[in-house]
Amino acid sequence: MDPLRQDEFDSQACGSMAPKAKPCPRPKPGEAAGGCSFDGAQITLLPIMDAAHLVHGPIACAGNSWESRGALSSGPSLSQYGFATDLTDSDIIFGGEKKLKDSIDYIAGRFAPPAIFVYSTCVTALIGEDMDAVCKEAADRIGIPVIPVNSPGFVGSKNLGNRLAGDALLQYVIGTGEPEPETDLGVNLIGEYNIAGEMWDIEKLMNSAGIAVTSRITGDARYKEITWAHRARVNMVVCSRALLGLAKEMESRYGIPYFEGSFYGAKETTYSLRQMAYLMNDREMERRVDRLTEREEARLSQELRPYRKLLRGKRAVLYTGGVKSWSVISALKELGVQVVGVGTNKSTEDDVRRIADRVGDDTEYIPEGGASRIIKTVRERKADIMIAGGRNMYVAMKEQIPFIDINQERHKAYAGYEGLLRLAKELTYSLANPIWKLAASPAPWDKEAPPYDR
Amino acid sequence: MTVNRRKKPASVNPMKIGQSLGAVLALQGCYRAMPLIHGSQGCSAFPKALLTRHFREPIAVQTSALQEMDVIFDANRNLEEALNLVLSKHRPDIIGIIGTELTDVAGVDYQNMLKTYKRERNMRGGLAFSVVLPDFRGSLESGFSSTVESMIDEMIQQVGHRGQRSVNTRQITLLPGSFLTPADVMELKEIISSFGFEVIALPDISTSLSGHLLTGFSPLTRGGVPLDSMLQSLQSALTIAVGGSMERPARRLHNAIGTPYKVFEGAMGLKATDELLHFLHQISGEPVPLRYCWQRENLLDSMLDAHFQFAGMSVLAALEPDHLHSVSGWLEELGVEQKALITSFETPLIAGMEREVWVGDLDDAEVLGKGADLWISNSHGIAGAQRTGAAFMPAGFPVWNELGAYMSVSAGYRGAMEWSNKAGNLLMQREAGSRESSVRHR
Ligand code: SF4
Repeated sequence: MDPLRQDEFDSQACGSMAPKAKPCPRPKPGEAAGGCSFDGAQITLLPIMDAAHLVHGPIACAGNSWESRGALSSGPSLSQYGFATDLTDSDIIFGGEKKLKDSIDYIAGRFAPPAIFVYSTCVTALIGEDMDAVCKEAADRIGIPVIPVNSPGFVGSKNLGNRLAGDALLQYVIGTGEPEPETDLGVNLIGEYNIAGEMWDIEKLMNSAGIAVTSRITGDARYKEITWAHRARVNMVVCSRALLGLAKEMESRYGIPYFEGSFYGAKETTYSLRQMAYLMNDREMERRVDRLTEREEARLSQELRPYRKLLRGKRAVLYTGGVKSWSVISALKELGVQVVGVGTNKSTEDDVRRIADRVGDDTEYIPEGGASRIIKTVRERKADIMIAGGRNMYVAMKEQIPFIDINQERHKAYAGYEGLLRLAKELTYSLANPIWKLAASPAPWDKEAPPYDR
Repeated sequence: MTVNRRKKPASVNPMKIGQSLGAVLALQGCYRAMPLIHGSQGCSAFPKALLTRHFREPIAVQTSALQEMDVIFDANRNLEEALNLVLSKHRPDIIGIIGTELTDVAGVDYQNMLKTYKRERNMRGGLAFSVVLPDFRGSLESGFSSTVESMIDEMIQQVGHRGQRSVNTRQITLLPGSFLTPADVMELKEIISSFGFEVIALPDISTSLSGHLLTGFSPLTRGGVPLDSMLQSLQSALTIAVGGSMERPARRLHNAIGTPYKVFEGAMGLKATDELLHFLHQISGEPVPLRYCWQRENLLDSMLDAHFQFAGMSVLAALEPDHLHSVSGWLEELGVEQKALITSFETPLIAGMEREVWVGDLDDAEVLGKGADLWISNSHGIAGAQRTGAAFMPAGFPVWNELGAYMSVSAGYRGAMEWSNKAGNLLMQREAGSRESSVRHR
């Protein structure tokens, strides 16, 4: 690892380049939760669907993690292949660089991908493999980009990994290509990973307003489109502060204005679309957006009516991992659901401020993880439902608390106007399910008084 | 016969699972246990997520959360911190410290550290042990069995050598292999106890990962064999190990305290079950319970019904070594062609098989098993099965595309029947599907 780089990270905020926010806290031994930086880097780059993603290390890093995300593809599926150098004892002793080189050649020869991403892991970083050199040499030899992603697990949290992946894109990908002549230039969507197909809903909306997507970074992306991301006219950072640094760097390098937005909830969606048109500086487009959002909001509020009635006054505890809490809070508020507890462990100060703007005074902040802590809040605040990541799903089931999965592994798309309707339906189904009553009542022989005296 | 390897530098679509995950799995079968992975946080987050996805249960596991500088300077400081916290906060009965490739490559001596820690803190009553499980060797199966072995070692250290061992002649220790589902372990316990024995399964995932509704959440394991039963198992008259990988822990018990053991390589299919029941009948002197005689006939009858379906069919199986061995035996009885057998790493059991076995990945399965009608592997195989046009039957670990997979039974006559029907149905549906498409094309 490059020591200079490490210092640079330590002095900076977790997932953002803003200098004054708190640094990444050290994970607490015996109480840490969540993935490693390698995990974070993979999450960010795996949705580049036509590229090959090769994990350089012993088998577990790749073997335990491939195919675990719900990022969907509309076409190529090479990124769903699990590639690993699968180092053995002797590779560790004699060095794995030869195997890495051979693996790159093999993948290039057999699958002919437009690019290969190579991820370092703890062991290969520890024994000092010179991955950058191997990648560079291979790229020159085989004539396709081979991109080193230096994000071994032990440098920090998942969040840091997201950022390191962003750095790799800046250093090796963005600006290396040019769009095809007929490409309509518009907005880069940064940090939207097409979980459960959310990207598709967003793209549909943007298209109906006549806003073009230049590069998807990285949900359902193709390698090539990211190479010309520097030609976009606007950057939108979607629900992921980890890639804010990427947008800032693109602003200073290429003069592309950026804004942070979200597609959770009708209000946020409308705001995001408006912001795009505004930054594109196109009056006609702004008018189109206004017409579209008005129409969509009107239709949505019609369709939401029956669900709103059922959901009004319901209380939820929200514990998100990657998805920004504040934007989901907006969505829930629009449905009449009150957020009585919210996780802030991954939030920056900015996020917390935004959360505070959107919740009432009696909302409890849950600063650190741990299932017991979340459950305590659910109980104390008499919440009706828990909205969190898949990792906590079965914890909620054990406590018989209605649950909705909001993170990477979910199967439902909640973005945009359509998404809000889907969220309303999901909440209703979950709360109204007969299982809660059935599970809470004992077997008949347990509630009966003994039939006769013995 | 022979164990082969295809020549290619990278692993493509790996089926191998890190050893440490096997260790975490083993510890889930012990009551109030906490597996503690000595490594970076990802090394515990991935297994936790994967096990949760497969069993659809919360999984107990913690990490020493090593970061770069900790690895270089003093990794054991983190471990000590983690131990302090876990012990004071959750008071587990059992702690298993699982070393990773990271601690292995960095040469961290946590075995001695644990000894000192226990001595200094005068730790008694619980069971704390460590196991070395770098991920560049073995797979889930070896991680699981090594952990059981270390656990047994520690138990013997604590009580075994003390005085005379009083043997309970009606008690049997069951060492179930990692490929058995919670329902399988339950089935085996039932079979053995139906001959009048007390059974202590070590570990016992049948009562922890089988979907019980104990209310309340705990960061420790919520079921499994309690510590006092574990210690009591040292009095068993016999050890029954299921799966070749469980022979070593069985032998350990034999060498240290003299418990005789019997290894069943598998428990799947007619012959394997016959063997088990016959053995139990002989050692107990009890007749084989009527329900198993019935089940045997049910199985034979269903195999008769299904044999038309299996005629001329070929199957590919890609599973962990013991599991592959077991499944291959069952496939033999169905009379299908075994097109390709692929496993994650070589074991003595695999090397001794009469069929050709390949050590490799799911990409090898796709190439070697081209043309197979049925594909049996973990859920990672779905895409490969689709590409080759085979019907897909999930088995092994992880399975996420089927509800209740962890409760499916493969052991005993009942298990063989369930599997035969399931496989037959899949082939039948596939046949119907292809008929439909041929009609449409005309
Ligand atoms: S922490 Fe390191 S060794 Fe563990 S999974 Fe992450 S990259 Fe791999």
